[in-house]
Amino acid sequence: MRTYNPKPGEIERHWHVIDASDVVLGRLATHAATLLRGKHKPVFAPHVDTGDFVIIINAGKVALTGNKRQTKVAYRHSGYPGGLKQVGYDELLTKRPERAVELAVKGMLPHNRLGRQLIRKLKVYPGAEHPHAAQQPVPFEIKQIAQ
Amino acid sequence: MARVKRAVNAHKKRRTILEGASGYRGQRSRLYRKAKEQMLHSMQYAYRDRRDKKGDFRQLWITRINAAARANGMTYNRLIQGLRLAGIEVDRKILADLAVNDATTFASLVEAARAALPATEAAA
Repeated sequence: MRTYNPKPGEIERHWHVIDASDVVLGRLATHAATLLRGKHKPVFAPHVDTGDFVIIINAGKVALTGNKRQTKVAYRHSGYPGGLKQVGYDELLTKRPERAVELAVKGMLPHNRLGRQLIRKLKVYPGAEHPHAAQQPVPFEIKQIAQ
Repeated sequence: MARVKRAVNAHKKRRTILEGASGYRGQRSRLYRKAKEQMLHSMQYAYRDRRDKKGDFRQLWITRINAAARANGMTYNRLIQGLRLAGIEVDRKILADLAVNDATTFASLVEAARAALPATEAAA
Protein backbone atom coordinates (compact mmCIF):
# COMPACT_ATOMS: atom_id res chain seq x y z
CA MET A 1 0.00 0.00 0.00
CA ARG A 2 1.25 3.43 -0.91
CA THR A 3 0.97 6.42 1.38
CA TYR A 4 -1.40 9.01 -0.05
CA ASN A 5 0.33 11.77 -1.98
CA PRO A 6 -1.84 14.80 -2.80
CA LYS A 7 -1.91 16.08 -6.38
CA PRO A 8 -2.02 19.85 -6.88
CA GLY A 9 -5.53 19.81 -8.33
CA GLU A 10 -7.27 17.74 -5.67
CA ILE A 11 -6.66 19.91 -2.61
CA GLU A 12 -9.80 21.57 -1.28
CA ARG A 13 -9.12 25.09 -0.04
CA HIS A 14 -11.44 26.75 2.40
CA TRP A 15 -11.44 30.30 3.71
CA HIS A 16 -11.29 31.12 7.42
CA VAL A 17 -11.82 34.45 9.16
CA ILE A 18 -10.08 34.96 12.48
CA ASP A 19 -11.04 37.88 14.69
CA ALA A 20 -7.81 39.05 16.32
CA SER A 21 -9.46 41.24 18.97
CA ASP A 22 -7.70 40.72 22.31
CA VAL A 23 -5.96 37.55 21.07
CA VAL A 24 -2.29 37.26 22.02
CA LEU A 25 -0.17 37.76 18.88
CA GLY A 26 1.81 34.49 19.05
CA ARG A 27 -1.23 32.36 19.86
CA LEU A 28 -3.05 33.91 16.92
CA ALA A 29 -0.08 33.22 14.65
CA THR A 30 0.20 29.52 15.57
CA HIS A 31 -3.42 28.92 14.55
CA ALA A 32 -3.03 30.91 11.34
CA ALA A 33 0.18 29.04 10.48
CA THR A 34 -1.46 25.63 11.09
CA LEU A 35 -4.34 26.51 8.76
CA LEU A 36 -2.04 27.95 6.08
CA ARG A 37 0.15 24.82 6.08
CA GLY A 38 -2.80 22.44 6.14
CA LYS A 39 -1.64 20.56 9.24
CA HIS A 40 -5.26 20.35 10.36
CA LYS A 41 -6.14 18.13 7.38
CA PRO A 42 -5.54 14.38 7.08
CA VAL A 43 -4.22 14.95 3.54
CA PHE A 44 -1.30 17.06 4.84
CA ALA A 45 2.01 16.61 3.00
CA PRO A 46 5.20 18.52 3.86
CA HIS A 47 6.19 19.19 0.25
CA VAL A 48 2.85 20.46 -1.08
CA ASP A 49 0.71 23.44 -0.15
CA THR A 50 -2.32 21.66 1.35
CA GLY A 51 -3.50 24.61 3.40
CA ASP A 52 -6.42 26.99 3.48
CA PHE A 53 -6.80 30.73 3.05
CA VAL A 54 -6.81 32.76 6.28
CA ILE A 55 -8.29 36.23 6.73
CA ILE A 56 -7.37 38.03 9.94
CA ILE A 57 -9.54 41.00 10.88
CA ASN A 58 -9.10 43.52 13.70
CA ALA A 59 -5.33 43.12 13.55
CA GLY A 60 -5.07 46.52 15.26
CA LYS A 61 -6.65 45.08 18.42
CA VAL A 62 -4.18 42.23 18.84
CA ALA A 63 -2.76 41.80 22.34
CA LEU A 64 0.85 41.59 23.50
CA THR A 65 1.72 40.20 26.93
CA GLY A 66 4.09 41.70 29.48
CA ASN A 67 5.78 44.94 28.46
CA LYS A 68 6.45 43.82 24.89
CA ARG A 69 4.44 46.69 23.50
CA GLN A 70 7.15 49.02 24.86
CA THR A 71 10.25 46.82 24.46
CA LYS A 72 9.74 44.56 21.41
CA VAL A 73 11.34 45.94 18.24
CA ALA A 74 10.93 44.91 14.60
CA TYR A 75 14.14 45.15 12.53
CA ARG A 76 14.71 45.28 8.80
CA HIS A 77 17.79 46.02 6.69
CA SER A 78 17.90 47.93 3.45
CA GLY A 79 21.10 46.20 2.28
CA TYR A 80 23.18 49.38 2.36
CA PRO A 81 25.83 50.02 5.06
CA GLY A 82 24.13 51.44 8.13
CA GLY A 83 20.79 50.50 6.62
CA LEU A 84 19.33 48.81 9.70
CA LYS A 85 15.88 50.25 10.36
CA GLN A 86 13.98 49.56 13.55
CA VAL A 87 10.49 50.27 14.72
CA GLY A 88 8.99 49.54 18.15
CA TYR A 89 5.83 47.45 18.36
CA ASP A 90 3.90 50.32 19.96
CA GLU A 91 4.43 52.36 16.80
CA LEU A 92 4.09 49.37 14.46
CA LEU A 93 0.74 48.33 15.96
CA THR A 94 -0.68 51.84 15.60
CA LYS A 95 0.66 52.54 12.10
CA ARG A 96 0.73 49.13 10.38
CA PRO A 97 -0.85 46.45 12.61
CA GLU A 98 -1.21 44.07 9.64
CA ARG A 99 2.59 44.05 9.30
CA ALA A 100 3.02 42.92 12.92
CA VAL A 101 0.66 39.98 12.39
CA GLU A 102 2.25 39.04 9.06
CA LEU A 103 5.71 39.02 10.64
CA ALA A 104 4.55 36.76 13.46
CA VAL A 105 2.91 34.25 11.10
CA LYS A 106 5.79 34.33 8.61
CA GLY A 107 8.21 33.35 11.36
CA MET A 108 6.13 30.23 12.07
CA LEU A 109 6.03 29.00 8.46
CA PRO A 110 8.88 27.08 6.78
CA HIS A 111 11.65 29.46 5.68
CA ASN A 112 11.84 28.22 2.10
CA ARG A 113 10.13 28.56 -1.29
CA LEU A 114 7.03 26.74 -0.05
CA GLY A 115 6.81 29.02 2.98
CA ARG A 116 6.91 32.11 0.76
CA GLN A 117 4.10 30.59 -1.29
CA LEU A 118 2.05 29.80 1.84
CA ILE A 119 2.24 33.34 3.26
CA ARG A 120 0.46 34.64 0.17
CA LYS A 121 -2.74 32.93 1.35
CA LEU A 122 -2.77 35.11 4.48
CA LYS A 123 -4.83 38.29 4.28
CA VAL A 124 -4.60 40.67 7.23
CA TYR A 125 -6.77 43.74 7.77
CA PRO A 126 -6.44 46.30 10.60
CA GLY A 127 -10.18 46.86 10.93
CA ALA A 128 -13.30 44.67 11.04
CA GLU A 129 -13.83 44.89 7.26
CA HIS A 130 -12.43 42.56 4.62
CA PRO A 131 -13.09 42.41 0.86
CA HIS A 132 -13.34 38.60 0.64
CA ALA A 133 -17.08 38.15 1.20
CA ALA A 134 -17.36 36.43 -2.20
CA GLN A 135 -15.17 33.55 -0.96
CA GLN A 136 -17.71 32.88 1.82
CA PRO A 137 -15.14 32.58 4.61
CA VAL A 138 -16.09 30.65 7.74
CA PRO A 139 -15.34 32.19 11.17
CA PHE A 140 -12.60 30.27 12.96
CA GLU A 141 -12.87 30.01 16.72
CA ILE A 142 -9.65 29.74 18.67
CA LYS A 143 -10.13 26.84 21.03
CA GLN A 144 -7.94 24.12 22.42
CA ILE A 145 -8.72 20.42 22.63
CA ALA A 146 -8.35 19.38 26.25
CA GLN A 147 -5.82 16.65 26.87
CA MET B 1 47.91 -15.01 -22.52
CA ALA B 2 45.40 -12.50 -23.78
CA ARG B 3 46.56 -8.96 -23.91
CA VAL B 4 44.63 -6.45 -21.76
CA LYS B 5 44.66 -2.86 -22.89
CA ARG B 6 44.20 -0.46 -19.99
CA ALA B 7 42.33 2.28 -21.80
CA VAL B 8 39.17 0.17 -22.18
CA ASN B 9 38.68 -0.24 -18.45
CA ALA B 10 39.78 3.30 -17.68
CA HIS B 11 37.20 4.70 -20.10
CA LYS B 12 34.51 2.43 -18.74
CA LYS B 13 35.21 3.50 -15.17
CA ARG B 14 34.99 7.19 -16.07
CA ARG B 15 31.86 6.68 -18.15
CA THR B 16 30.07 4.91 -15.26
CA ILE B 17 30.86 7.76 -12.85
CA LEU B 18 29.84 10.48 -15.31
CA GLU B 19 26.59 8.69 -16.18
CA GLY B 20 25.80 8.37 -12.49
CA ALA B 21 26.46 12.07 -11.99
CA SER B 22 24.26 13.19 -14.86
CA GLY B 23 21.87 15.95 -13.87
CA TYR B 24 24.19 17.27 -11.17
CA ARG B 25 24.87 20.96 -11.00
CA GLY B 26 27.76 22.60 -12.89
CA GLN B 27 31.14 20.88 -12.98
CA ARG B 28 29.85 17.98 -10.92
CA SER B 29 28.08 16.51 -13.94
CA ARG B 30 30.89 17.30 -16.43
CA LEU B 31 34.35 16.83 -14.90
CA TYR B 32 35.43 13.36 -13.81
CA ARG B 33 37.24 14.43 -10.67
CA LYS B 34 34.36 16.57 -9.37
CA ALA B 35 31.78 13.96 -10.38
CA LYS B 36 33.67 11.17 -8.61
CA GLU B 37 33.88 13.11 -5.36
CA GLN B 38 30.19 13.95 -5.55
CA MET B 39 29.21 10.35 -6.34
CA LEU B 40 31.05 9.13 -3.24
CA HIS B 41 28.91 11.47 -1.15
CA SER B 42 25.71 10.83 -3.09
CA MET B 43 25.92 7.09 -2.51
CA GLN B 44 26.41 7.70 1.21
CA TYR B 45 23.39 10.01 1.33
CA ALA B 46 21.26 7.51 -0.59
CA TYR B 47 22.26 4.69 1.79
CA ARG B 48 21.53 6.81 4.86
CA ASP B 49 18.26 8.19 3.50
CA ARG B 50 16.89 4.75 2.57
CA ARG B 51 17.04 4.06 6.30
CA ASP B 52 15.75 7.51 7.27
CA LYS B 53 12.79 7.03 4.93
CA LYS B 54 11.11 4.65 7.41
CA GLY B 55 11.14 7.32 10.11
CA ASP B 56 10.13 10.10 7.71
CA PHE B 57 7.00 8.23 6.71
CA ARG B 58 6.11 7.35 10.30
CA GLN B 59 6.39 11.05 11.12
CA LEU B 60 4.05 11.95 8.24
CA TRP B 61 1.49 9.29 9.28
CA ILE B 62 1.49 10.65 12.84
CA THR B 63 0.90 14.20 11.58
CA ARG B 64 -2.04 13.02 9.49
CA ILE B 65 -3.52 10.88 12.27
CA ASN B 66 -3.23 13.84 14.64
CA ALA B 67 -5.07 16.10 12.18
CA ALA B 68 -7.89 13.60 11.78
CA ALA B 69 -8.04 12.86 15.51
CA ARG B 70 -8.30 16.54 16.38
CA ALA B 71 -11.15 16.88 13.88
CA ASN B 72 -12.86 14.20 16.00
CA GLY B 73 -12.15 16.09 19.22
CA MET B 74 -9.19 14.07 20.48
CA THR B 75 -5.42 14.42 20.35
CA TYR B 76 -3.07 11.87 18.77
CA ASN B 77 -1.55 11.09 22.15
CA ARG B 78 -4.87 10.10 23.74
CA LEU B 79 -6.02 8.24 20.63
CA ILE B 80 -2.99 5.94 20.71
CA GLN B 81 -3.36 5.45 24.45
CA GLY B 82 -7.04 4.57 24.02
CA LEU B 83 -6.40 2.17 21.14
CA ARG B 84 -3.78 0.36 23.17
CA LEU B 85 -6.14 0.04 26.17
CA ALA B 86 -8.90 -1.18 23.85
CA GLY B 87 -6.55 -3.80 22.46
CA ILE B 88 -6.94 -2.50 18.89
CA GLU B 89 -3.79 -3.26 16.95
CA VAL B 90 -4.03 -0.97 13.93
CA ASP B 91 -0.66 0.49 13.01
CA ARG B 92 0.00 4.10 12.11
CA LYS B 93 0.32 3.43 8.39
CA ILE B 94 -3.20 2.01 8.21
CA LEU B 95 -4.61 4.63 10.58
CA ALA B 96 -3.24 7.39 8.34
CA ASP B 97 -4.72 5.74 5.26
CA LEU B 98 -8.11 5.45 6.98
CA ALA B 99 -7.88 9.12 7.97
CA VAL B 100 -7.49 10.10 4.32
CA ASN B 101 -9.72 7.59 2.54
CA ASP B 102 -12.28 6.35 5.08
CA ALA B 103 -13.23 9.01 7.62
CA THR B 104 -16.18 7.05 9.06
CA THR B 105 -14.07 4.03 9.99
CA PHE B 106 -11.50 6.36 11.53
CA ALA B 107 -14.21 8.09 13.56
CA SER B 108 -15.44 4.73 14.89
CA LEU B 109 -11.87 3.89 15.95
CA VAL B 110 -11.69 7.25 17.77
CA GLU B 111 -14.94 6.39 19.56
CA ALA B 112 -13.58 2.97 20.53
CA ALA B 113 -10.44 4.63 21.89
CA ARG B 114 -12.48 7.19 23.79
CA ALA B 115 -14.57 4.44 25.38
CA ALA B 116 -11.45 2.57 26.50
CA LEU B 117 -9.85 5.58 28.19
CA PRO B 118 -10.25 6.00 31.97
CA ALA B 119 -12.98 8.56 32.73
CA THR B 120 -10.64 11.26 34.05
CA GLU B 121 -8.52 11.25 30.89
CA ALA B 122 -11.40 10.91 28.41
CA ALA B 123 -12.80 14.31 29.41
CA ALA B 124 -13.34 16.39 26.27
